[in-house]
Amino acid sequence: MLNIQQLRKLEPQIIALGNHRPILQSMLDFDFYCGRTEPTLKAIIGTGKKFEKFFFGKREILIPVYHDLSHDIKINATINGLINVNSGRRTLASMRAAISAYPNLKTAVLFAENVPEKHSLEMDKLAKTKNITITGPASVGILIPNHLKIGPIGGVDHRQLLSAKLFDTGATAVLCSSGGMSNEIINLLAHANIPLSFAVAFGGDRFPVLTPKEAFLAAENDPNTKQIVYFGELGGYDEYELAELLKKKIITKPVIAYIAGSVSAVFKEPPQFGHAKALAQRGAETAVAKAEALTDAGALVGKSFAQFLNLITKNIMTQKSPPQTQIDLSDRRASLFTCRISGDKNGSPTILGQELVAAVKTMSYSEMVIALLLGKKPKSKELAQFTDLALKLLIDHGPYVSGAVNTMITARAGKDLVSALCAGLLTIGDRFGGAINEAALNWFTAVNQKIAAANFVENFASAKKIIAGIGHKKYSSHQPDERVKLILEFAKKLKFHPHLDFALGVAKITLAKKANLILNVDGALAAVLLDLLQEKENYQKEELSELIASGFFNSLFILARSVGFAAHFLEQRRLDEGLFRLPEDSVNNG
Amino acid sequence: MPRVKLYEHSAKTIISKALPLPYRGIRIDENTDLKKLVASLPKNKTYVVKVDQGVKKRMKNGLVVLNISPAEIPAALKKLKLKKFDNFLVEEFLPHKPNEEKYFSLERQRDGIVASVSDKGGIDIEDNPDSIKTFILEPKNYSALEKLTGLSPDMLQKIRQTFDELCFSFLEINPLVVKNETPYFLDLAATVDSAGEFFVSGTWGEKDIVAMALKTTEEKTVKILKDNSPAALSLAVINPNGSIFLLLSGGGASLVVADEVANLGAANELANYGEYSGNPSEEETYLYTLEIISLLKKSRAKRKILIIGGGVANFTDVRATFRGIIRALEKNKITLQKMSTKIFVRRGGPGQTEGLASMQKFLNDNNFDGGVYGPELPLQKIVELALC
Repeated sequence: MLNIQQLRKLEPQIIALGNHRPILQSMLDFDFYCGRTEPTLKAIIGTGKKFEKFFFGKREILIPVYHDLSHDIKINATINGLINVNSGRRTLASMRAAISAYPNLKTAVLFAENVPEKHSLEMDKLAKTKNITITGPASVGILIPNHLKIGPIGGVDHRQLLSAKLFDTGATAVLCSSGGMSNEIINLLAHANIPLSFAVAFGGDRFPVLTPKEAFLAAENDPNTKQIVYFGELGGYDEYELAELLKKKIITKPVIAYIAGSVSAVFKEPPQFGHAKALAQRGAETAVAKAEALTDAGALVGKSFAQFLNLITKNIMTQKSPPQTQIDLSDRRASLFTCRISGDKNGSPTILGQELVAAVKTMSYSEMVIALLLGKKPKSKELAQFTDLALKLLIDHGPYVSGAVNTMITARAGKDLVSALCAGLLTIGDRFGGAINEAALNWFTAVNQKIAAANFVENFASAKKIIAGIGHKKYSSHQPDERVKLILEFAKKLKFHPHLDFALGVAKITLAKKANLILNVDGALAAVLLDLLQEKENYQKEELSELIASGFFNSLFILARSVGFAAHFLEQRRLDEGLFRLPEDSVNNG
Repeated sequence: MPRVKLYEHSAKTIISKALPLPYRGIRIDENTDLKKLVASLPKNKTYVVKVDQGVKKRMKNGLVVLNISPAEIPAALKKLKLKKFDNFLVEEFLPHKPNEEKYFSLERQRDGIVASVSDKGGIDIEDNPDSIKTFILEPKNYSALEKLTGLSPDMLQKIRQTFDELCFSFLEINPLVVKNETPYFLDLAATVDSAGEFFVSGTWGEKDIVAMALKTTEEKTVKILKDNSPAALSLAVINPNGSIFLLLSGGGASLVVADEVANLGAANELANYGEYSGNPSEEETYLYTLEIISLLKKSRAKRKILIIGGGVANFTDVRATFRGIIRALEKNKITLQKMSTKIFVRRGGPGQTEGLASMQKFLNDNNFDGGVYGPELPLQKIVELALC
């Protein structure tokens, strides 16, 4: 049952199924003008980007976009409002999913036209069983002044919201079958200084889930509503139900109504008008017959729209509203980029919201590095310590490795520092230096899918693929890598280390095959870093997965080794050995 | 346009297949080879020929020819074609007694699929409203329904399932004759929910839906435009020689404006009804406007009034849609000027300031009589201003 008073007491927490930018922006503008500091729109279920940019007042904000409904259980439990802007075909399926995902859902608006009748009726059943108010299909939404706006109702342009006076609370309920006319009536009431108690557009379909009858009962039960303004159309029999309610004195509040579509009589064959329901096949469905029934039951029904307007101004008390003091939002402009990690505040550089000159006094270099890479300050001291260790361990590994060779050759060709450094960096990938990220993907996937180490190894073996994070050209079980020892030592600071445990389990199996198939420095760094982020920094699975997808784990190697490459360049310059040419006997010409 | 009529031939094919029963009706359109058809029919049987275009009360209006031999079919069709029909149905004639005729109809309603039945079926069913009994079509009512109609519970269940799954909205079989437990659907009318087409896996589609009687090229063009757009666009010509042309937006507001024309006693001058809504693009609005202008140019009425009306839109972009309208007016401005067309505009919504200003500029620059108004003018008032 739609209960307006209950909705007034409930702080809206809204989710959007699908993105319709003007509608969602208008809901954010409404919240801003209501004086909220946070938007009621919490997330969008959609495709594509991870975030959508919107304005909240003049400030740009990012609304998260989830690709499926079960994305965030914590948010799901708080959701009590929903706007569905999916197509008519998708509306039922998406509502079914939403109703099971959001246990506390109270109000939903279906915006799409062309929802099959059968689907509307199914949603009607769902709404009744789950006690959810579903407005639509083909509804522009529901509005409670200064509190709730779901849908484009009342307009999508922020200037419309102000001129329609959606922030003054009053005593007139507007109940309307037509979306466009609901806004027309809201506007004409605003011009006449008649503020609203609430407004609903049922949508012009044959079977609106929220029926006019239910909306009338909601208006009757709402202590703030003193009178009802109703706009109906030809087609269907809803008005006879309303007339019954009036006759039986179940509805006692005054009703002022207009039933559009008397023009139908002009046609030889009754035509289908704009809305799906707007077709009068039987006499009782005509506008004139329905208007008569309501008049007989005691409603004030305008014979023409002009008369309807007269009835409104004659019978409803006006209420002078205070002058508008809301700020104008016309001059806001969307940004081309979003950056939240650093900036410039009055000529002074900032990182993560703090002035750089202040940050340097409290943060170590490693802490600043990891904070910038992750986009937020670490919670634990361990993360900075581990970063420090990683940066040190990865700083250089002699002149033999691909990147160092490239750097030196470029230096000897007489090129500058940046060129030589880039030449070195360009070798970093899956084979050289880039294995940390892939190792992280290996451990993360296996731990989450609960794959046994033996099966994991078997999968790689049968696919004839090497395991990133396992094996070394030089080190083996006979000659252990001292760097790995230091990393494993660090892991003792953690209570749990599922990724490391798994990696070691893999190494145990691979070592039985070949002595150099050890857990290497890349594999160890990836495992401990995953464990650390999970335990000390409270990273959730989805966040870790995003870090891996973005290549974060390699960034530490690239950063650390840039020092080594620069050093090789500078040394080659100091020595100035001249242009390098490969000795001919070192190339096999066969 | 959600509820649409199926051809009787298509509807009978679908229902017969569900039961399952053979169906041998033949659909006749302009492409049918009549000689071949007549030759293919057994000579010892007689036939029924009727118009199959979703028309009501065919028997009373002489659109059904009963009990004729195959050789008489072409002549019967010729007669019916003279009444401006082009789609027909030929079926075997079933001799039966009037008291064998039952009435059976189904309608999708909020509470379920409602069956209305009567054992006094036939063309005069409307004279026996008291004989019609209604039931929700569900298993517990099947035996009661069987008594009144002769349809077995198994058949009722199959009909119900087909009706529900294939997104039917309405089905009327009158008369229904059941002989030796076999039902014969002498006349059958069905309406389906066009929004359900996607979900019926091709059981019915565009070819099964009775095409609306679109008489003018303008209506046909708008139909094509609508079929290829997510926005809603509609146009119905009322009086080709009317003087009042409506270019309206919004399902509800368009009714209010059209009502007002009738209220002010000018219904006979109303040339068309129609509306665009759901935020059509500039291009779509341009093309739609061209069709209204085309009607206006063809009309033999002396005065020409164009009402561009609409409520305060929620989300339709007034600036963009008005750009489309102005482009179409601009293209035809010389003809419109020659016809002393008066143009009256009333609209509100997103981008209204710019939209209304450019419309005002167009009227001023080209010396059109009329006026441009925003939400400050009550919606229906534009009609009064236009007609005085």
